[in-house]
Amino acid sequence: MRTTSRIRWWGTAGVAVALFASACGSSSGTASSKGKTLKLGAVFSLTGAGGVYGPQQQQAVKLAEETINAGGGVNGANLSIQVVDDASTQTQAAQQTQTLIQQNQVVALLGPTLSNSAVAAHPIADSLKTPMLAVSTTGLNIVGTCPYPCTYIFRDSLGEAAAIPTNIKTYVAAASPKPKTGVLLYPNDDKFSVDGATAVKQTVTDPAVGIQLLDTIQFSKSDADLTQFVNQGVAKHPDVIFITSLGGIPAKIMTAARQQGFTGQFLGGNGFNSAAVSKQAGNFGKGARSASAWYLGNDFASNAEFVKAFKAKYGTDPDQFAAQAYTGVLILADAAKRAKLTYTDLAGDRQKLRTAMESTNIQTPLGPFQFTSTHDVHQTIWVIAMDGQGGFSLVTSVKPS
Amino acid sequence: MRNTIQQLLNGIFIGSIYALFGLGYTLVFGLLDVLNLAHSEVFMLGAVVAYSLVALHHVPFLLAVPLGIAAGGLLGLVIEFVALRPLRRRGAPPIAALISTIGLALILVALIEQAKRGGALSWLWRDGANDVQFPAGKVPDRIWHLAGLTLPVNKVAIVVITVALMGVLAYVMAKTPAGRAVRAVAENPRAAQLLGVNVDRVITITLVASSALAALAGILFALALNDISPYIGRDQVELRGLAVIVLGGMGSIPGTFIGGFTLGLLESITILTLGTDVRAVGFVALFVMLILRPSGLLGRPATERV
Repeated sequence: MRTTSRIRWWGTAGVAVALFASACGSSSGTASSKGKTLKLGAVFSLTGAGGVYGPQQQQAVKLAEETINAGGGVNGANLSIQVVDDASTQTQAAQQTQTLIQQNQVVALLGPTLSNSAVAAHPIADSLKTPMLAVSTTGLNIVGTCPYPCTYIFRDSLGEAAAIPTNIKTYVAAASPKPKTGVLLYPNDDKFSVDGATAVKQTVTDPAVGIQLLDTIQFSKSDADLTQFVNQGVAKHPDVIFITSLGGIPAKIMTAARQQGFTGQFLGGNGFNSAAVSKQAGNFGKGARSASAWYLGNDFASNAEFVKAFKAKYGTDPDQFAAQAYTGVLILADAAKRAKLTYTDLAGDRQKLRTAMESTNIQTPLGPFQFTSTHDVHQTIWVIAMDGQGGFSLVTSVKPS
Repeated sequence: MRNTIQQLLNGIFIGSIYALFGLGYTLVFGLLDVLNLAHSEVFMLGAVVAYSLVALHHVPFLLAVPLGIAAGGLLGLVIEFVALRPLRRRGAPPIAALISTIGLALILVALIEQAKRGGALSWLWRDGANDVQFPAGKVPDRIWHLAGLTLPVNKVAIVVITVALMGVLAYVMAKTPAGRAVRAVAENPRAAQLLGVNVDRVITITLVASSALAALAGILFALALNDISPYIGRDQVELRGLAVIVLGGMGSIPGTFIGGFTLGLLESITILTLGTDVRAVGFVALFVMLILRPSGLLGRPATERV
């Protein structure tokens, strides 16, 4: 038993070293910072509504930390990531971000988990000139066109503004007969869902898509029974039901719609991309399509090794949120490695790290990864479909233009 | 027309859950003048226990239901002995008891949302903050299709159970010695004690009954809506449960019953007539009720509650 554990440990460590080496390419890798500690923070929703995603992010971040330290750290510096819980609330996300920056003096941060919390946390990190990398916030105006400068904010999570149009357009292009009508359902008290709905509304008017929205049905994420809302949509007999929402809501809508006789297609966003959602939808969700930043079954080395290491450590497959969080640590570690940090001038190190992040170009579980000039993702988009058994199958992939 | 009937049926289905949830709330309020805000967590735990028994321990659903209700009853004892009785003994005001139940509620949610595979509570819950559902084929899930209407058997059963329970509770309160004892304590605990009523025992039994009702409501909710998570009580029914007992009349069992169905139907009728953009109509009705008739539909002066 002990031998088996030892073999598993060495196996994981070996994979870890190989993975970090491949992620960081041929950077200098000298041990000049030996004895130093590279302090990072992560603000995740470990409890509350985002608690569906936060724990996997925490697991992935801890795996990445162990992986990198097992490979000699960041130029010899030990990587230390402090993960804190924002309880899925804006106020706690803001407070935790400020504490990590000012009290714990981290060089950079990951998070928060939810777009709703990001609008409170990101401006604080930006005003304190500390890089913050969003690893699961996919709403509008997270990077690029923000209501504040957002020069220190980056994102490795595929935005709904890119994911939803890609999904809809690839579906329409392949569908026969072409869908003509649709109904959109979303909770109007959640930024992620509202932003996703905006992306749907803009995409269906594209002449290449040409789907007429028969109804836009809004509800609250705290509504107990969505049957009444689904009923209104199904009664319009649409070809497609668009769902932009998080947590258990997509599965509830799919179940109710199928029970009421809907036989058309479900199309959605990042909210579909969790094994928990696919499992909850079960057979009712079979074929439901979404665009994802990551696909479990991708067999290129940087993903296969991540999946293997994650499974060895935690006994379960990772999900998209874990993959993006893991990638986030790889990005920060790679940038720190190239940034020639002093470990004495914190403000200067944060500035150097931000500059280095802009030239990121590494292999990650998401595929080859770079940032756009607005700090958004530049990566392959994977279109996936629920398989009816709690998993997903790959439909197609779209390379970045 | 078919959509209209379907939506009205949907309103009756969800209204019966609101009513069932509100019954437990109103029982305790009628007796103690205290809102037990841990009630929604007992609702959640009833569902969690039944789910655990069926999905993790392969207990037949029909056996898991009474066991889930019993677990709810036990939690009623915890609420009484941990959150309420110590404060009552010290003569603390009702607001202290309300805050105490909020604290207990937060602890119960935290316990479940932190329970993961391999953890100390993994025998009860392994899914953290995730939504889960009863495994297919292990629970009744038939759907009747009648004249184009969709009638899930579970939801029909909930309406029947709610009506039956309301009848039983109303009879117990009005016609049995136990009901008379509860009403005596509700009216004046000290006078009831002088007349030989064991006040603490009456309060304990009422809390057990109220919590058992909450657990049953939670199980039926989980069954009908395919949704079990640490937040089903807090996020989805707690506020509506409060609205129901205010609408129906604080402490009134028939009022809660009517309030539950009124709220469910109001939500459906709003969707039908005003569309899905108009929200919180139940709470508008609540304000109107508070202005026009503060004691609620069937509310009476405090001395005649329950």
